[in-house]
Amino acid sequence: MKPAPLQYVRPASVAEAVDALEEHGGMARVLAGGQSLVPMLGMRLMRPSALVDINDLGAELGKIDGRGEETVIGALVRYSALETSPVIAERLPLLQEVVRHIGDRQVRNRGTIGGAVAQSDPTGEMPLVCLTLGARVVARSVRGERTIPIEEFFEGSYANALEPEELLVGLRFPLAPVHCRFFERGRKHNDFALLSIAVAGSPDADGRWSGVRIGLGGVNDTPVLAEAAAARLEGRTWDTATIAEAAELALEAADPPDDVRASAEYRNHLLPIQLRRVLTDLAGAEPWKT
Amino acid sequence: MSETLEQTRTRANGVGAAALRKEDDRLLRGDGRFTDDVDPAHALHMAIGRCPFPHARILEIDVSAAAELEGVQQILVGAEVAQRTEPISVLRPVPGAPQLPYYALAGEVCVYEGQPVVSVVATSRAVAEDAIELIDIDYDPLPHVSDVLEALADDAPVLHPLQLSSNLLATNPQGNGDPDAVMAAAHIVVSDRFRINRVTGLPMEPRAIVAHWRPGARELTAHVSTQVPHLVRMQLAESLRLDEGDVRVITSDVGGGFGLKLGVYPEDVLACLHAIDLRRPVKWTEDRLEHFRATTHAREAVHDFAIGADADGRITAMTNTYTTDLGGQNSPFGSAQLSSIVFTGPYRVDDGFVQRRVALTNKTPVGAYRGYGQPEVNFARELLMDRLARRLGIDPLELRMRNMLAQEDLPWRNPAGALYDSGDYRLALQMVADAVDYDALRAAGRERPDGRRVGIGLTSFVERTGYASAKFLANRGSRYGAHESVTLRANRSGGIDLFTGVSSMGQSSETAFAQICSQVHGIAFDAIRVHAGDTGATPLNTGAFASRTLIAAAGAVSAAATELRDKTLRIAAHRLELDDVDGLEVDGDAVVVQGDPSRRIPLAELHMAAIIGQGIPVDEHPGLEATAHFEPEHAAYAFGSAAAVVAVDPETGDFEIERFVLVHDCGTMVNPTLVDGQVRGALAQGFGAALSEELRYDADTGQLVNGSMLDYFVPTAADLPPIELHHTEVPSPFTTFGVRGVGEIGTIPPGAAIANAVCDALADFDVQISRLPVTPELVWRELQQARNRSETP
Repeated sequence: MKPAPLQYVRPASVAEAVDALEEHGGMARVLAGGQSLVPMLGMRLMRPSALVDINDLGAELGKIDGRGEETVIGALVRYSALETSPVIAERLPLLQEVVRHIGDRQVRNRGTIGGAVAQSDPTGEMPLVCLTLGARVVARSVRGERTIPIEEFFEGSYANALEPEELLVGLRFPLAPVHCRFFERGRKHNDFALLSIAVAGSPDADGRWSGVRIGLGGVNDTPVLAEAAAARLEGRTWDTATIAEAAELALEAADPPDDVRASAEYRNHLLPIQLRRVLTDLAGAEPWKT
Repeated sequence: MSETLEQTRTRANGVGAAALRKEDDRLLRGDGRFTDDVDPAHALHMAIGRCPFPHARILEIDVSAAAELEGVQQILVGAEVAQRTEPISVLRPVPGAPQLPYYALAGEVCVYEGQPVVSVVATSRAVAEDAIELIDIDYDPLPHVSDVLEALADDAPVLHPLQLSSNLLATNPQGNGDPDAVMAAAHIVVSDRFRINRVTGLPMEPRAIVAHWRPGARELTAHVSTQVPHLVRMQLAESLRLDEGDVRVITSDVGGGFGLKLGVYPEDVLACLHAIDLRRPVKWTEDRLEHFRATTHAREAVHDFAIGADADGRITAMTNTYTTDLGGQNSPFGSAQLSSIVFTGPYRVDDGFVQRRVALTNKTPVGAYRGYGQPEVNFARELLMDRLARRLGIDPLELRMRNMLAQEDLPWRNPAGALYDSGDYRLALQMVADAVDYDALRAAGRERPDGRRVGIGLTSFVERTGYASAKFLANRGSRYGAHESVTLRANRSGGIDLFTGVSSMGQSSETAFAQICSQVHGIAFDAIRVHAGDTGATPLNTGAFASRTLIAAAGAVSAAATELRDKTLRIAAHRLELDDVDGLEVDGDAVVVQGDPSRRIPLAELHMAAIIGQGIPVDEHPGLEATAHFEPEHAAYAFGSAAAVVAVDPETGDFEIERFVLVHDCGTMVNPTLVDGQVRGALAQGFGAALSEELRYDADTGQLVNGSMLDYFVPTAADLPPIELHHTEVPSPFTTFGVRGVGEIGTIPPGAAIANAVCDALADFDVQISRLPVTPELVWRELQQARNRSETP
């Protein structure tokens, strides 16, 4: 009732979907779960010329697939499917844990991983965990398919490297470290994060860590990797001093906003404290799932 | 005096029983009928164009493009509305304030963001919204003022220069004794400025209206989501220049009121005006973005509070000068008026002074909201009570006990003139202390092994529920009475139809009224059908607000039920060929002879006899119907105490409310389940306002920053702390059955109890909190400030 006038297109295949996107010259928006898009349409904050509804494309875009070391997740896979998938439980436990911090049951029954990554909310859980796990984004248009490393995908608040005529069709995840932790603080239960932290890495038999990645949400205009902090932790055992140093180094990746959730100053105060606690917990703990 | 006679008999679903709610069957089946469910096939739909600026002059409105859009039926602008309507009337005037004309559409100047400027009616809401976007309005933004104290500065832009020379609408002082002199002589004075956040009530169902005009019948029927259908009828008639007889307001289910749906709003007048012009039903349902800007906000105030005491902590004087934010216009109920009346709380204070100042700002108008000033003043006073305790080295529990009125002190009149009726305030506080095991918690100390600090916060309060008589209200210019009314009509199935103007908004009045009717009359609870909220069918009443419904309605239901029962028994005696009604009673579905169950006449038979006038005593008129009005002689003062146990992380400011215990008294409980529901619901709103909710305005643009569910942090069930409720049940001497109001009490204690607990946890750092909401960031900031204070002696 409330959106500005628009056309509605419901393609029967990915090929038809990218044709429709091409036809509207970048003025169309893709409707997947609609959990962010529909409210924005209702508020008329977004006025696409058309909606390309991909909800009939489950056969092409709705699969979770473990292939060797890689895990491929279709864009239309819903949060609730991630939450209950044994493949995800085994291969990407961080992804499964994080889903529980997203919205409520109704949101998780509708919202999709592709929609969340395409939305590129700087506080979103899915963009953060995809970044932390080093996923690659698969996009398709009438000109063909390309793969974008997630580190090059997010370009700003709600902005990314997708061309307007491109459809995000899936995400490819490399083998994930077995040790991971997720922390999130919002203003209320399952609110947008004022600070979120995802950490993954693998300790060897001597307790030296490798493949350390630290993702931060809510402290910049995109989810960011705390690269200096991760570098400080890579190849070492984590004693208290190392953890404290790494936690402070994480601030290099932060340029937080001042908004109704929290001031920049407070986010900067919280970041090293909470990262220190997450790392301390991880250093002394068992793998995520044993 | 308390009418407890009728209670001597226990009835299955009578007074005091945990009867299941009459409302639930339809609501839980999704079969409620809310205003938006009223959907006439030929309805038109209204959309409103609103001012995007906090203060602006309208230079020009060009509707030509919108008028050409297919489906658009009518467009109204301010000049036409000013010509054809009267301003929206104020129901509860601010004493001493001039009238500020509030037309349904802005005339030359808009005084708040969201103020209606144009209205469009079209064949669908979507078309109407599209038309709004095509209307070209040329605004000249004017200097604005958002802050309530800055609004009173000499250089502040004046919002209503024709009526006022400043933004101070009125000043209302009240007091007793010589507080200035006593304060000056006090051994110790604690004082501070407390800032209360602007919040809103967020009913699940936003406002809505469906208006329909039948010109031949001269009948305007308006389905409105409101707490006061009979008052809306009066206001609509006034604004639309109709006779009240021309207007019928129908309110069926209301999805939450909380004080926000008290009286007419601009959109109500506009929908009716369009419906009259177009002779077709016109419908408008507020969306949530509109709700945040166009429905009244609440609470925002700055309190300057001071307490003087002797060396033993005995309070000698209290003063409180506070400024409430009215927003840009005076809404039907205006800003909170009850901070003054309860400013001294449950403590003995002989010398006291309170002064309310009402200020206009370029923000959404403020209206009533659950609590109506009582949570605000409680926060200020109770934080100072803890500071006084700390300064004197007296335990906060002991300090409160020392100053608290004893049961035998009541009735007692406080310095603002409030007459506290009855209660055992100290018992409630002691029960709270016992429930949290106060002494053991104190002995355990503040430090936890995990680095957190734990604190206990107490608060004690009284709460005015209901109104002190129509005479009191009339002196303050109120345009409604203190009474409630009810009509009971026997029906031929052997049941009773109960007609009330009190609309059903979640407060369970249908259930409570039926319980009282069953208690007094004797008829089965299930045989009572409640018809609520239709001004064409119900007796004139006041409405559901101010925790006043049951205080007045208990008496009305009781009187009407007595009258109906007595006539029923007389007819039964006649038919049983008895000399009088002695030994007869109504028992469920029949009149029975006590001690002889074989002699009974079904109510259906008696009702039919009365309705057709056959087989009744010669001196009885036909019919079996009673209407009664009841006005309590005074307000009833509910009371209670609460404790919060809070663990604070001094590194981050995060805190966890581990326990929240409330002991309260609402007099005789008509239904303990409903009481718990009311208290828990109000607590949820209390926690929201205490911990997270705050409407924030941009300092430069004056625009609302967080006017959506995305950024306004109303708590969900998952955000609420564990709640423990206990009751005392001291009957009020002023009401039927001894009931007190219960709908608002939960909003009062959370802010004070939590802030006191946080300050107690961080007592080693001497942290002080003087504003709401109490967020982790605020706690962290106050910790920083306290550390800075201690480093710079």
